[in-house]
Amino acid sequence: MKLNIEGLLVYFPYDYIYPEQYSYMLELKRTLDAKGHGVLEMPSGTGKTISLLSLIVAYQREYPLEVTKLIYCSRTVPEIEKVVEELRKLMEFYSKETGEKNNILALALSSRKNLCVHPEILHANIIVYSYHYLLDPKIADLVSKELSKKSVVVFDEAHNIDNVCIDSMSVNITRRTLDRSQANVETLQNTILKIKETDAAKLKEEYRRLVEGLKEANVARETDIYMSNPVLPDEILQEAVPGSIRTAEHFVGFMKRFLEYLKARLRIHHVVQESAPQFLKDIFEKVCIDRKPLRFCAERLRSLLRTLEIADIADFSAITLISNFATLVSTYSKGFTIIIEPFEDRTPTIANPVLHFSCMDPSIAIKPVFERFQSVIITSGTLSPLDIYPRILDFRPVTVASFTMTLARTCLCPLVVGRGNDQVAMTSKFETREDFAVIRNYGNLLLEMSAIVPDGIVAFFTSYTYMENIVASWYEQGILENVQRNKLIFIETPDAAETSMALEKYQEACENGRGAILLSVARGKVSEGIDFVHHFGRAVIMFGVPYVYTQSRILKARLEYLRDQFQIRENDFLTFDAMRHAAQCVGRAIRGKTDYGLMIFADKRYARADKRGKLPRWIQEHLTDGSLNLTIDETVQLSKHFLRQMEDQLGLSLLTLEQLQSEDMLQKIAQIAHQA
Amino acid sequence: MAALSEEVLLVVKRVRQRKQDGTLYLMAERIAWGPEGKDRFTVSHLYADIRCQKISPDGKAKIQLQLVLHTGESTNLHFSNESTALKDRDAAKDLLQQLLPKFKKRANKELEEKNRMLQEDPVLFQLYKDLVVCQVISAEEFWANRLSINNVDHSLSNNKQEVGISAAFLADIRPQTDGCNGLRYNLTSDIIESIFRTYPAVKQKYGENVPHNMTEKEFWTRFFQSHYFHRDRINTGLQDIFSECAKQDEKGLKSMVFQGVKNPMVDLLSLEDKSLDEGYGSNSTAPSTSNTNKTVKENSNSAIIKRFNHHSTMVLAAGSGKKADAPNGQACETSSTDGNSRDSDFFQPPIKKVKIQDVIEYEDLHRENGKKTVALNLKKSDSVLSGSALCTASCAIAALSPGGVLMQALAQQAINQMVPNDVQGELKHLYTAAGELLRHFWSCFPVNTLFLEEKLTGHLEDMFQMAYNKFHAWQTRRMMRKT
Repeated sequence: MKLNIEGLLVYFPYDYIYPEQYSYMLELKRTLDAKGHGVLEMPSGTGKTISLLSLIVAYQREYPLEVTKLIYCSRTVPEIEKVVEELRKLMEFYSKETGEKNNILALALSSRKNLCVHPEILHANIIVYSYHYLLDPKIADLVSKELSKKSVVVFDEAHNIDNVCIDSMSVNITRRTLDRSQANVETLQNTILKIKETDAAKLKEEYRRLVEGLKEANVARETDIYMSNPVLPDEILQEAVPGSIRTAEHFVGFMKRFLEYLKARLRIHHVVQESAPQFLKDIFEKVCIDRKPLRFCAERLRSLLRTLEIADIADFSAITLISNFATLVSTYSKGFTIIIEPFEDRTPTIANPVLHFSCMDPSIAIKPVFERFQSVIITSGTLSPLDIYPRILDFRPVTVASFTMTLARTCLCPLVVGRGNDQVAMTSKFETREDFAVIRNYGNLLLEMSAIVPDGIVAFFTSYTYMENIVASWYEQGILENVQRNKLIFIETPDAAETSMALEKYQEACENGRGAILLSVARGKVSEGIDFVHHFGRAVIMFGVPYVYTQSRILKARLEYLRDQFQIRENDFLTFDAMRHAAQCVGRAIRGKTDYGLMIFADKRYARADKRGKLPRWIQEHLTDGSLNLTIDETVQLSKHFLRQMEDQLGLSLLTLEQLQSEDMLQKIAQIAHQA
Repeated sequence: MAALSEEVLLVVKRVRQRKQDGTLYLMAERIAWGPEGKDRFTVSHLYADIRCQKISPDGKAKIQLQLVLHTGESTNLHFSNESTALKDRDAAKDLLQQLLPKFKKRANKELEEKNRMLQEDPVLFQLYKDLVVCQVISAEEFWANRLSINNVDHSLSNNKQEVGISAAFLADIRPQTDGCNGLRYNLTSDIIESIFRTYPAVKQKYGENVPHNMTEKEFWTRFFQSHYFHRDRINTGLQDIFSECAKQDEKGLKSMVFQGVKNPMVDLLSLEDKSLDEGYGSNSTAPSTSNTNKTVKENSNSAIIKRFNHHSTMVLAAGSGKKADAPNGQACETSSTDGNSRDSDFFQPPIKKVKIQDVIEYEDLHRENGKKTVALNLKKSDSVLSGSALCTASCAIAALSPGGVLMQALAQQAINQMVPNDVQGELKHLYTAAGELLRHFWSCFPVNTLFLEEKLTGHLEDMFQMAYNKFHAWQTRRMMRKT
């Protein structure tokens, strides 16, 4: 159908449209009009991607000078491929409707082997790739830095975007890294010696090229041609390269000294935590390394590797890592912390020192994106509470909205189980998680559900260790044997290949009618990347509240930083983080309106307002007082009732073109979007 | 006196039957027993009539052998020769073991089939009781009508799908303490078959060791004692014959994992496009996966998890009738040579594309071709958008459907509670019996043979009369009871 979204002609490749899709496009268009950023939450399965693509493509056609490019970032390869497929569908619809030949160039980078040639990316109207191509400065500098300012950037499935940002800026250095760097440095030294004998002019030329390159970069940045790079600080573009690292030999010597220093720092027996300035002060006192040459390290190494015509840069990944660390630690005095741990907490007898250089501020990595591109859309099925993302990513959105799923039938049924039939509270709280009664009640819940839910059940635990322990005690108590009378059991393992096979077998068992249970882990690969549509997931059970492991020093430092910089209280952040993962887990089973499923929150703490209130609106609105703090028996009764209802009902909530033309209807649609 | 020409295969003296001493004869086609001093058999069973034999457990004072017939009757034989009782019994048992299977095939298939039908179908069984046992119609007539169905069934049952394996079959052999510090496992042939089908490695071991190296009993005793059967499997000792099975299982699992998954949508390995390079990222949450740092308990826990995955996979494979893994890894070799390994994605894109297209399709957003949906004209469409109206509507429907809140007081009570269960049952029996008679009645039309005419005018009428009388009697009885 052809839609009129506030005066914009939008081709939508379906005969009907969900009301929330219309509403979503409306908000999106307003964001583009304002040339600002937006945060939009809409449940998965309501056609978010096609709404985004339809509207932005239409906008590009209507205002080719205002928006020149769409950069669509998603997280996983299957998701990227889905976007490409939807785009293809839209393009086919365009050619069918307009009779024109497709004049839109779309480009997808869906894996490293597809890494496209640089000029193509500049000409494409639509680029679909993974977050890393934009957020990881190492890759962004190669692929994305020249993308036009007048681009619309979409981060889909963006509920974890802060972690992606942090990961791309954090560095871990172990003894192995240092040994490999040492070897790298030696190779460099030998290569330099060889070249010096055969082609001394080349090395002389090198310095000139380095300066030239920096000058160019400076010009480009000032004239806004390039997106800025957080690893290439502004300062070094204006300053002269320090003498201590000017020639290739000097630079190699400098790196050697730096490596020796790091080696010495790893020889410790107790944990050290310090800030970047403290680290710089220490390095200056101990080995007289100044801040300024450190800042040039990353760029200096790149230039040298280019000059020496090194074919396989991957061999030099260790020294590249060290040079990136040097630049980052000397550039940012805030937002990072250095933690040196002599051993893993679990194994205090085995020395395994690691230097963690941890980014605590996700806004550092994403800042260039917000600054460069006129509209950045952060969207996902679960982004609640909506206001926290602008705060931790440090940007000011023009639109913040959450859309609910309009449903002709209530196809999701969230229930909070708080007690066993023996009235013992059910919770994964640290103090009681080893409690025999809690584990047994969790087991009974699984057993009861396995008897009444058809086909597939997915259950998530708060952590892998917790799952292992519970599975072991369920095994001892014979609970799993009884569950096996109803369904086959498959369990996620730390090994991705093993888990993939378990997943495939799980689906096979759901498919052939035997029914199966998948035991899995929140924050794991399954919870983040695998959908359980229709009979592959008729119920999701979330055992406990998936809080992150709070004893980690890095996390503690990050919480402190959030409190000091963004005035976000530790508990608020931890709860937000736990709830977004819980929402992701339970949302895995509902992938559309024709789907249906139970969402069992098995922890009494979910009933509290501070937890419940952080669930996405589309889940929250189905949580009534009658579905809180239930016993196992009550849960079974309500579930049976729900499943019976679902089996013989089907309804649609669709709008036709005519309906969309009525003024009255449009007003009502506007109410679907819940302005935060 | 039995035919003298029969060949006698085995004679066992001093066998008691019903507390009477006598002699047991195993002949070519039957087994017979005659009391001491008399030259006739009081017990004689054709092998074809025998369903199975059972023996008393070792160590029991009485050494017995039981013959179970297809009719359900059984005959107990007590070997009472003190010095050779056990040997006698085993000789008889072994011979029977060889003879019975030969006759099993020759056994009256029809009878067995009838038996099976009656056992499997309680309604039919009741009907049989009501009509045949009460002599409303004869057994032949009852079956005459069924047999045609039976034959059709039979042709179907030849390629009937194999029965799957219960995932919990190991749970069914829970050990029971025998009261003197030992454990007893109850094994049935079904469970043994399940074990063999699920764990081919065990079957192989069985073939290798039984009966040359050990008896069947010894084999299963060892099986249950072995760590292979128990828990975590990490402590399989060297002398344990099943340690090799565990290794084979492990190998099989590995080869399956190595082959990778066919469905690209569940392949976690290719999920991430560009993971961070080594050394980057904040691995604060990632647990260490290296085995060296694991405690014994953690190792045992992860072994349990692996075992569950393996067990479920094998049960699934056994149920779908295909071999899950070749124990010697052959399957993996052949399939990796056909070029369809994970690396070459030459074959993958079509599957993947179809899967993806399937996922992104919103079928409800398409106008249906052919049949048009009836638009629901709602007066208050605004409440539809908020979802409240339909929720109310669906709640109302649910409440009014059987089992719903509103129905509990009315309809449900009318059926379930007002009429007692036994009355419902009796009524149902009468109803099905009457239905069956009617079926007989109508099957006589068109009346084109003499037999049918006779049937109609002759005893069918009597049958109806009889059925009516039965119903009437029941009715009166109920009335009497009520008043």
